[in-house]
Amino acid sequence: MIRVHPEPWATMVAHAEATYPNECCGAMLGTADGDDKTVTVALPLENAYTGAQEDRYEIRPEDLLRVEREARQRGLDVIGIFHSHPDCDAYFSKTDLENSCPWYSFIVLSIQKGKFHHANSWLPNAEQTKAEQEPLEY
Amino acid sequence: MAKILIPTPLRQYAEKNNSVEVSGSTVGEALANLTTQFPDLRKNLYNDEGKLRSFVNVYVNDEDIRYLQKDATAIADGDTISIVPSIAGGRS
Repeated sequence: MIRVHPEPWATMVAHAEATYPNECCGAMLGTADGDDKTVTVALPLENAYTGAQEDRYEIRPEDLLRVEREARQRGLDVIGIFHSHPDCDAYFSKTDLENSCPWYSFIVLSIQKGKFHHANSWLPNAEQTKAEQEPLEY
Repeated sequence: MAKILIPTPLRQYAEKNNSVEVSGSTVGEALANLTTQFPDLRKNLYNDEGKLRSFVNVYVNDEDIRYLQKDATAIADGDTISIVPSIAGGRS
């Protein structure tokens, strides 16, 4: 189960809507007790993909290094990554799976016609061959 | 000794440490010492061929070792090694 507090959730939705029709991305910080995760901070990041950003995103490793440092300074953990799917559902695509990392929760926000529609959280398996849906509360 | 920062999801494989002091004169030696000490970390960091998994990036302080000497990058006492994943995706 992953719970996102109202403030970071508002940040994530606002970032996803502002980035529409492109995909957005960002990191989620919080606390984890086993599989029970709570997100208290969302950090929007720049989509570094150099091609068409309406259907791809990429996070620079140096941005994630900065996120790791910020989490440590705040006494929080990096819980996961969020990104948006403009005008399609919040599934975890083949591209998402192959370019993910099996260490984190991945929240996908579906943005339809510029407005938030629904979201799901996904947990890629160790081999990055499939992703299991994780209960999400926001 | 250099310090390796352990990302949150991997701490469960490193006795819940958020950082580990390791010996070694190169990044490769330091990571080998880390995974000898905590064998369960190995499959999270390396593939079956013994290479770092494709999404794993390693930094010495602020420098990505891909742009230095990779595994052979020299480290000194007090250096901090960070393990950072590459992450991308898309709807299609």
